[in-house]
Amino acid sequence: MSRLPKIGLLLLALIYVGTSASIAQQPGTSQYKCMIQMTNYMGEKAYVVVSLINSKGAYEKTLYVLGSDKKWYPDVKEWHKALGRKKPNISAITGASVAGGDRSVTVLEIDNAKINKEYKLRFESAVEDKPYYVKDLEIPLTTEALSAKNEGTGYIRYVRFSPTTSN
Amino acid sequence: MTISVWRYSHLALAVSSFLLLTLASVTGIILAFEPVSQKLQPYRADNVGQLTLAQTLPVLKKGYEELTELSVDANQFVQLRGTDANGKNLTAYVDPRTGSILGTPTPQSEFFQWVTALHRSLFLHEAGRFFVGLTAFLLLLITVSGTMLIIQRQRGVKRFFTRIVRDNFAQYYHVVLGRLSLIPIIVIALSGTYLSLARFNLVGEATIVSPTIDLDALQSKPERKPADFAVFQNTRLVDVQSIEFPFSDDVEDYYTLKLKDRELTINQLTGEILSEKPYPTAVLLTSLSLDLHTGRGSLIWALILAVASGNILFFIYSGFAITWKRLANRAKNKYTATESRFIILVGSENGSTFRFAQLVHQHLLKQGKKAYLTDLNNYGVFPEAEHLLVLTATYGLGEAPTNARRFAALVEKYPQPQSVRYSVVGFGSHAYPDFCQFAFDVNQLLAKQAWAAPLVDIHTVNDRSPEEFSLWADAWSQQANLPIPISADLLQAPKRRFDKLTVTGNTRTALPDGTFLIRMRGSRRRNVASGDWLAIYPANDHRERLYSIGVLENELQLSVRLHPGGLGSGFLHELTPGEAIRARIVSNASFHFPKKAPVVIMIANGTGIAPFLGMISQNRQQTPCHLYCGFRQRTSLAMYGDFLEESRAAKKLTNLHIAYSREGDKQYVSDLLIRDADFITNVLMMNGVVMICGSLAMQKDVLDILDSLCQNKLGNAVSYYQAHGQLLMDCY
Repeated sequence: MSRLPKIGLLLLALIYVGTSASIAQQPGTSQYKCMIQMTNYMGEKAYVVVSLINSKGAYEKTLYVLGSDKKWYPDVKEWHKALGRKKPNISAITGASVAGGDRSVTVLEIDNAKINKEYKLRFESAVEDKPYYVKDLEIPLTTEALSAKNEGTGYIRYVRFSPTTSN
Repeated sequence: MTISVWRYSHLALAVSSFLLLTLASVTGIILAFEPVSQKLQPYRADNVGQLTLAQTLPVLKKGYEELTELSVDANQFVQLRGTDANGKNLTAYVDPRTGSILGTPTPQSEFFQWVTALHRSLFLHEAGRFFVGLTAFLLLLITVSGTMLIIQRQRGVKRFFTRIVRDNFAQYYHVVLGRLSLIPIIVIALSGTYLSLARFNLVGEATIVSPTIDLDALQSKPERKPADFAVFQNTRLVDVQSIEFPFSDDVEDYYTLKLKDRELTINQLTGEILSEKPYPTAVLLTSLSLDLHTGRGSLIWALILAVASGNILFFIYSGFAITWKRLANRAKNKYTATESRFIILVGSENGSTFRFAQLVHQHLLKQGKKAYLTDLNNYGVFPEAEHLLVLTATYGLGEAPTNARRFAALVEKYPQPQSVRYSVVGFGSHAYPDFCQFAFDVNQLLAKQAWAAPLVDIHTVNDRSPEEFSLWADAWSQQANLPIPISADLLQAPKRRFDKLTVTGNTRTALPDGTFLIRMRGSRRRNVASGDWLAIYPANDHRERLYSIGVLENELQLSVRLHPGGLGSGFLHELTPGEAIRARIVSNASFHFPKKAPVVIMIANGTGIAPFLGMISQNRQQTPCHLYCGFRQRTSLAMYGDFLEESRAAKKLTNLHIAYSREGDKQYVSDLLIRDADFITNVLMMNGVVMICGSLAMQKDVLDILDSLCQNKLGNAVSYYQAHGQLLMDCY
């Protein structure tokens, strides 16, 4: 293959990305409204991290962080360890921590190509001076799981998804 | 004993908590500015007071793709969470009337996060929270014990806010600021304690448990629009804490409406209330405590909290300054009680009397005398004692200071085996009615003991006056034949700013009682009012003499009696017009003419008339003034006669009553008061003011009469009127 079509393709792709930035949805991704309902536990507000886990069980991408004070991020141990030194800018996908009995609704952006491909969604939770749950909830990233109600094992009572109506 | 219990607990609590208290106060001051900075943000929509949910929700729903949550914070900023037209997460402050975006919430700044964590938990998690909570509780106890100390110091709850006698900077402001910031500090301590208790789940059910909804019983008919829901029509936006919108259109998803006092769930199709649950009291109290403790939602309260926290820091400083001083005054003895010839016994509540006792002690030691200094409570048998010196203050209503409470009992129990010469010096302040009462009691008690013989009569020292103390020291030295040159130590001339005054007139005197008037004018304009004092320095040294000022025609007029050999009076008598002197005007605001009084009664004897002359001369608003004055003979009045007649004609003086003590009926001014008893009680009843100026002897008589009048006819002690600024005194 000559180089020219490659460059042309790249240009096309760049233009596409550039224009689609105005509607702000990456090509090939879907948005899911996600509700995290907490149990009535006693204690401080919980920090919850939603991550995409690949088939090898490794962290691939941080989808959402509930909790804005970086001081407490080390409490979400495994995620914090996997993040390592390279701290990606997560300010766009950060919301407030959530208290016992409360719920939090947020929109997750998920790559269509990863659905039904042995990827997993992990909900990891930590509360100050209380047990930490690596897998408070972990579900296979399948169309089926994304339309069901999934029960948590720690501070999360359940998580529900619904595809957003836009686009 | 109670005083010392409160004082020791106040100190012990302060010592045990001051480090954490300092930290909490400093961080608290910083944190007070967080609500202040929030308040200044322009995210508050106006006129939302009457807006109901039925009005605002349709507007908001129209403007956004989807709403998940709406919340109204303490600043009444309305925050919306949901998704925008692109399906992106959206969090924004909105105007609830139009739905337009006012701004984006920023997360709490890292600095405030850091300070908040330090304030709450010292970065020590649970353990830190416990210690901070304990500190809040200790602060509460400190406030309570401090309040008890003020009540005792002021002699009663009713006098809580009356004037405080100024001992020194730290002590004075410790008490003054303590009274002012009492309420905010109690609020801080109480709310802080409560928040900690709530944090450790010690106040009952403190969390809100979500209700369980019977999903099978949910109705989906009749369907209504949210604007038609009765509950939305009846709920104002300002009463809302948050609204959680239904997650999907399914009937099993519902609205959760969190109001200030209860939580409701609402069927999203029919508007039916599915559950209604009032918050537990503990939750409401927690919310109230947070409001009060953080000042969120109120700019003014937040600033008050900042000032109160600053005061706590000052209390820590001044409290330790007071304690340090008190400890430094503790006696260190070189000789034992059993071998000493001179026994110095001290009764002191706050330690200031100890300083005088130590001076005497040191002088005796310096001369090789065996002297022993101790508390009155440590009285016992002193086998070698020749001299007993008692220096004591008075506390409360003429009671013994804490370290002298047991003295009377001990004297009865331990008579001295040999004869001992004694001398008593009382320390006190004329600002209190029971001046040196306890010293008089001690003197009386010793006089009754067979082994005790007085060396010099009892002396009193007003407001720690060095002059009065050296008077005693001189008298004692001469009798004991032992020089104790106290004066040199105490009477160092203070560095002060002086005023230059030019004499404009001097009547001199040819009168038998030697009274004369002298007038002066200041070189520059100064705020001086009748009733202030003029301090003069006749010998240009430490010796100061005070005279009451009457301001007439913009000049200072003093009324002076010439004492044979008198330092001040002799100096003033020799001044001629045109001569300039160095003097100081001392403000005496507690003896100024009352601004708002229906009637003023002025009581004077002799030269005590001086300030009243000025006040009458300046009585342009013609407040009814009744002057009662006592003189020795008719001629004494002569120099005031014309002025008083003119004033009466000008309605500046309503009535004049004069008593002559050496002529005619030989009356005293107190006799006139007995005659006009009904009039005087009426004046006090209608909030009139009585002012007394003159000799202490006259003051004592007048106070006795007033006290019995007040007790019998008005049912109050005379101190009640003193406390209410209805009885003003300046006597010497």
